[in-house]
Amino acid sequence: MARDRAEQQEIDASAKWPVLVFFGSALLWLIIGGALQLAASIQLHTPAFLADCEWFTHGRIAPAAQNALVYGWGMNAGFAFALWLMARLSAAALRSAGWLMVAAVFWNLGVFLGLAGILGGYSTSYELLEMPSFASLLLLGSYLMIGVWAVTTFSVRNTEKVYASQWYILGAAFWFPWLFLVARLMLSTSPVNGVVQSIVNVWYVNGLLNLWFVPLALAAAYYFLPKILGKPIYDYYVAVIGFWWFAICSACSAGSRLIGGPVPAWVATLGSAASMLVIAAVVIIGVNLLGTLCGNFAKAQKSTTLRFIILSIVGFMLAAALNFALSVRSFAEMAQFTFIPELRDWLLLYACFSTAMFGAAYFFLPRVTGKVWRAPVLISTHYAATALGVLALTVGLVVAGWKQGHLLNLSDVNFATITNEITPWLTYRSVALMLLSIGHLAFLINFVWIACPCCSPCTTAATIKNPPEMEAHQA
Amino acid sequence: MKNGLLIFSGAFATLALSWAGVVLTANNQLGSLTQYKDPVDDALYPAPLTGLANQGRLVYQDLGCVSCHTQQVRRAGFGSDIERKWGKHQSVARDYIQEMTVLIGSSRFGPDLRNVGSRIPDADYFYKLLYNPQTKFAGAPLAHGMPAYPFLFETRPVGSVQSSHKAIKTTADGKEIVPTARAQALVAYLLSLKDSYEYPEAKPFVATEKKEGGH
Repeated sequence: MARDRAEQQEIDASAKWPVLVFFGSALLWLIIGGALQLAASIQLHTPAFLADCEWFTHGRIAPAAQNALVYGWGMNAGFAFALWLMARLSAAALRSAGWLMVAAVFWNLGVFLGLAGILGGYSTSYELLEMPSFASLLLLGSYLMIGVWAVTTFSVRNTEKVYASQWYILGAAFWFPWLFLVARLMLSTSPVNGVVQSIVNVWYVNGLLNLWFVPLALAAAYYFLPKILGKPIYDYYVAVIGFWWFAICSACSAGSRLIGGPVPAWVATLGSAASMLVIAAVVIIGVNLLGTLCGNFAKAQKSTTLRFIILSIVGFMLAAALNFALSVRSFAEMAQFTFIPELRDWLLLYACFSTAMFGAAYFFLPRVTGKVWRAPVLISTHYAATALGVLALTVGLVVAGWKQGHLLNLSDVNFATITNEITPWLTYRSVALMLLSIGHLAFLINFVWIACPCCSPCTTAATIKNPPEMEAHQA
Repeated sequence: MKNGLLIFSGAFATLALSWAGVVLTANNQLGSLTQYKDPVDDALYPAPLTGLANQGRLVYQDLGCVSCHTQQVRRAGFGSDIERKWGKHQSVARDYIQEMTVLIGSSRFGPDLRNVGSRIPDADYFYKLLYNPQTKFAGAPLAHGMPAYPFLFETRPVGSVQSSHKAIKTTADGKEIVPTARAQALVAYLLSLKDSYEYPEAKPFVATEKKEGGH
């Protein structure tokens, strides 16, 4: 046991610098992306806000915010988490920290240039692929450098079993470059004809969210629940069915985003059917995760990590329910061009993925740095702001989207009326986004304290301290 | 699952299935769609964009108009697109084959623009809208939630002889506000947005009734 622990510390330490660099840059992008998102949200109820400046017109700032949050925050945080967890679960030290840090520099350079491209007017206008081509090349190149190390760590593993979290990480590591490369080739390098472009675009967006962000969130949930609660995953044997079912169905569910659109009917029908079938996987994953949680809720509430993970599971379920509703034609007829699909995507990216990364970071950052979190009050602030913000934003966008969709379908209601009706709810959304930003700032301050080598002395006590309630189960 | 190779090949097969099943099949079906030759006047539809309108498409793209505007008309009976006069018939794949970048959009924070060129065939209206959407027009603002695009216009002193015929307004201190080349291209693009031709595949499907007493 003592040897195990020493080994684990060695593995955690091997991931220190890559994790800090990736997670630190992720947090910076989270702040920048959050600010841009807030500005874009304000513009929807106060159109004059920043309108005079071409770089910050709504049509540029909104995709820039989205890209900053997806490629800047989301993917950087995902890299930090996945590399660390892969090393831990494979019981192998993370190699080539130097390479990873070079890749991190290029990745962030790519995101920076891409955002500058969007704000400067070189957007491609394809959702989540707005970045100009030169930035994509940097992103893809550095991704390959990063992904290869996750796979290498796995292939030199010192364990017999391959755990559920590893399936999800491996899947995600492999799916993203394919999705990205194919989408870029079929949209920018040699563009396909007509609406096939729209099909490629939704295939990419759907794949990125469901085959990259969600798997990493699930990897976190599958790891931390048993780890911290000290009991195995409930009915673990069905997890493998859940994994494949989720992967296959959500990979095919893209078409439901094009219901009623100028595409052949089978595209939307296939997508809708797959979106509905995903529910079976959500139920299986739910049995695994909620079953583990059942009876241990009070214990889970004591761990910051698990509180965030529970939030993430709730976000995952909500997004799945909303996606199911949106693939029903009669609901899509009302809701498809409103704020409701936007809410679905936001739930996947934020309520499901980002909260899982917050929870994971509260666990791995003390372990890789060998320090303790400085200010518990900032942790509570972060959690409270996140939970309230997610709730507020979900309610706000559901109401706004509902009203908007209902009024859009009444042909005698003019646009000014619709805008007036939903404006209060959009104002409310801006407030919710501000709340989330407060949480982000609290987290950033705590992160700086724990990450900066000069901020607090390295406490050996913290390194050795591995309280049983924090890490009871050897996965 | 213990085998890394199994996970890898499964993951490969999963995405291969969706890529082949959704993207490649759609490309196979629609990728070679060509213009439709009208049997009566022998003309080809849809016609390509004019040069200026095509430049305007780039402005539309770079300003991110797609964030708030769709360009797709849903069929009669599915939403109120036809009742709102956003189009006379539903949009079909063939409508888009001349477009280098297909911008069907996914948000209707603003109205659909697929046929805005036939709905409002008035360049001056668009210039005013872009310069200041809050301009009163028949007692109400042109567009309530839309940002202004003042950077698409230049304010300059009125020329010695007369003001430019393109000027949208003259200010009190003797200056005129003139659309820049980008604004002109964008408006040309907006005016070009009209799917005038109804292809056979866009016609609503009418089920032929069974003959009475037929077997």
